[in-house]
This record gives sequence, structure tokens and C-alpha cells, in this order.
Amino acid sequence: MFGRGEAALCPSVKIRLLFAALREIFAFLMSRLFLFALVFLSAPLALADDQLAITVQHPWMRAVPDVMDSTAVYMVLVNTGSIPAELVGGNTAIADSVAPMITTKEGEGLKQVFGMQSVDSLKIPAHGTLVLEPNGNHLMVMGLKEHPKEGDQVDFTIKLEPGDHEIHLKIPVSKKPVK
Amino acid sequence: MNVVSSKTAPAPSPSPKRPFFDWRVWTVAIVLLVAVVLSVLLGVKQQAQQGFFGMRMFPLKTAYDFKLNAQNGTEIRLDQLQGKVVLFLFGFTHCANICPTSLTNLADVYQALTPEERKQVQIVFISVDPNRDTSQTLEQYVTSFDPSFLGLTGPKSAIDQTVLAYGGSYEMVAGSTNQPNDYSVNHSAYTYLINPSGKFELLYGNEKLVDVQHMVADIRAVLRERLGSP
Repeated sequence: MFGRGEAALCPSVKIRLLFAALREIFAFLMSRLFLFALVFLSAPLALADDQLAITVQHPWMRAVPDVMDSTAVYMVLVNTGSIPAELVGGNTAIADSVAPMITTKEGEGLKQVFGMQSVDSLKIPAHGTLVLEPNGNHLMVMGLKEHPKEGDQVDFTIKLEPGDHEIHLKIPVSKKPVK
Repeated sequence: MNVVSSKTAPAPSPSPKRPFFDWRVWTVAIVLLVAVVLSVLLGVKQQAQQGFFGMRMFPLKTAYDFKLNAQNGTEIRLDQLQGKVVLFLFGFTHCANICPTSLTNLADVYQALTPEERKQVQIVFISVDPNRDTSQTLEQYVTSFDPSFLGLTGPKSAIDQTVLAYGGSYEMVAGSTNQPNDYSVNHSAYTYLINPSGKFELLYGNEKLVDVQHMVADIRAVLRERLGSP
């Protein structure tokens, strides 16, 4: 029955078989899609509390003269996780308070003025970074009780959300950016 | 027009006579023309960049002769600094980000000059917050960045006149507590360069000051300008 025709029909049969196999695989995958979705969607919920994946790079505190009652802390926060995070503040024994600040620019040309504004939080997108740098976003350290000098190290804690997350750091004090 | 006429002409004509306005010739010509125009434009742009790093004022005008107070109430006028390149900026000592950044950068610029050049350069910080910044605090503040720096302030009217004369601006912004001394100051963050003849010559946005090499080149060019002028 398949005698001589077999050889001639062979390629198209193979293609048909291939398609059939692909359909099978697809149907199988679709039936499992529900399970996959369940696993993937629930992952962030499970990780939210203790899996905030933030690393801190190049932190430094500006060394300021004794007449100043405030200073600034700069760093790069890298979010290696898939959950967006927020920097909400910090604390240190050498000052009264720490607050996230943004730099504001208003007006154009010669009339342009710079200012700073306290914000509730600074966002660190999932798989993104938050850069705190001179002239830009920073953590303002207010009510200095001590004036650490260039080369000193200061214990400094930053607070992140979600999950009341804290990161304890030893931050070098410097007049210039620490790379 | 010529392109159209060349299209109507039989291009792959078997005859050895080639049409004069061949489309290939035109393509090459247009490409060449575009290349020439682009290179000229880029060249012009580069030439403009080879000028000053700061924004140059045109025409140069005599700088407003501010009259403010240094430490112990000593009156300092801009005219007294004539013969020097003066770089000044507005700010206040409670400023934790912009002002220290600018002053640190300017200290680097100043230190990058030769000792001979430094004698001809004066960096001045003008506080727009005389309420909290006494001339003594100011002195301690600015000299912590570089001992040569001059901190000036004065009565509000003198400060306002100075800020206005240089086209700047500032405003007090109340803090979160209702304490009278809890406020911040939004202010112009430019650095103004006055040349040795007392003319306001160059303007720098605060983000430019970090580029020590270009800042130094500008200061040297301004110093040379004076030597070159009759």
C-alpha cells in the first residue's frame, strides 16, 4: 500500500508529523500555563519582606567646616531585585536627623534658582539604580553634633521600603567624591 | 529636473554614447555636497567650542561695583579687586549640597593654577543670608575650602542690589518646623567671572565648575587677554 508512494510522500508526512508534535507541545504548555503563572505571580509576594536586593556603592559623607550644622551623604543604590524599592531616610549618632532631598531648579537663564526640597522617599526601580550625587539628590544630615574630618569613618544607617529594611554602613568622610 | 530627464533617457543603452546627466553622477555629486556641508557645519561648531568654556557676555560691560562686608565689617568693593580675575557666586552657609560642591570645585580650580597665577585670582562667596551668616561665620566657612577665599555679605539692601545687578535671584523657603531660623534659600548657582579690567566676562553654571581643566584654561585666557591688550 505504501510501496512506491512512501518515498514520494515522505517529506510532507514528516512536516505534518512535526506540526502535530508542535501542537501537542503547545497544548501541554498551555495546560501548564496556569501553574507557571501562579508560581511567577506569587514570587514577589513571597520575596517582598526579606528579599529586598539592594547594594550600596561609593558612599561618602561630605566633610564640612565646624560652622555648618548640616552635611550631605552621597552613594549609588543598586536594586538587583525585581521589587521596586524606596529610600525613606536614615540615621546616625552624629546628627539629629537624616532626610532624603531632591535638588530643585526653577526659572530660566540668569534668573534660574537652585534649591533643595525634602521628599518622603527616593525611588530605586526594580533592576535600576538611584544615584545620590553632589548637585543632585542626596541624604541631608541635619543638626550635626560632631564634625567628622576627612578620612574619618561614620556609622550610618539607611532605611528602605518595603519591609522596614535597614542597611548599616561605615561611611568615609571626604571633601571630594569617593570613587 | 535633470534626474527626471536622465530617467527618461535609456540608461542601459547599447550605444556607447553615455547620457551626460547620468543618475549615478548625480548621486555621487549629492553625496559629496552633503558631506561638504556637514563637515563645514561640524567645523564651525568645533570652532565655537574652542572659544571659552564659560558663556561669554556680549558686549562686555563694566561689572556692578558691589560694596559688601568682609570679616570684622571691613568694607570690600569689587573695584578694589581690579587687576585680578574675580570669580564670585551667591549662596549661604546652611546650604549642604550646591554651595559646598561649587566651593570645593573652585578650590580645585584655584589650586590647579600656578602660584604666580593665583596671585591674580580672587574667589569670592557672597552670602544672601545675612540673618544667619555673620561675616565671621562666613570667614570660617569659606576659608575651610581654601584659605584664600573671601566671604562677603552685608545689609539686605546691598545684597539685593548686587543680586539684581547680575541678573540673579534668591528666595527664602520656610522649613517644616515653624521656627524662625528654619528656612532654606533657593538661589542662583552661577559663578560670575570678572576680568582684570573690571568687566563681567564669563558665566558658569554650577555643573561646569567640576571641569578643572577647562576652568583653568578660561582663567589663563582671561589673564592673557589683559597682557595682550594695549
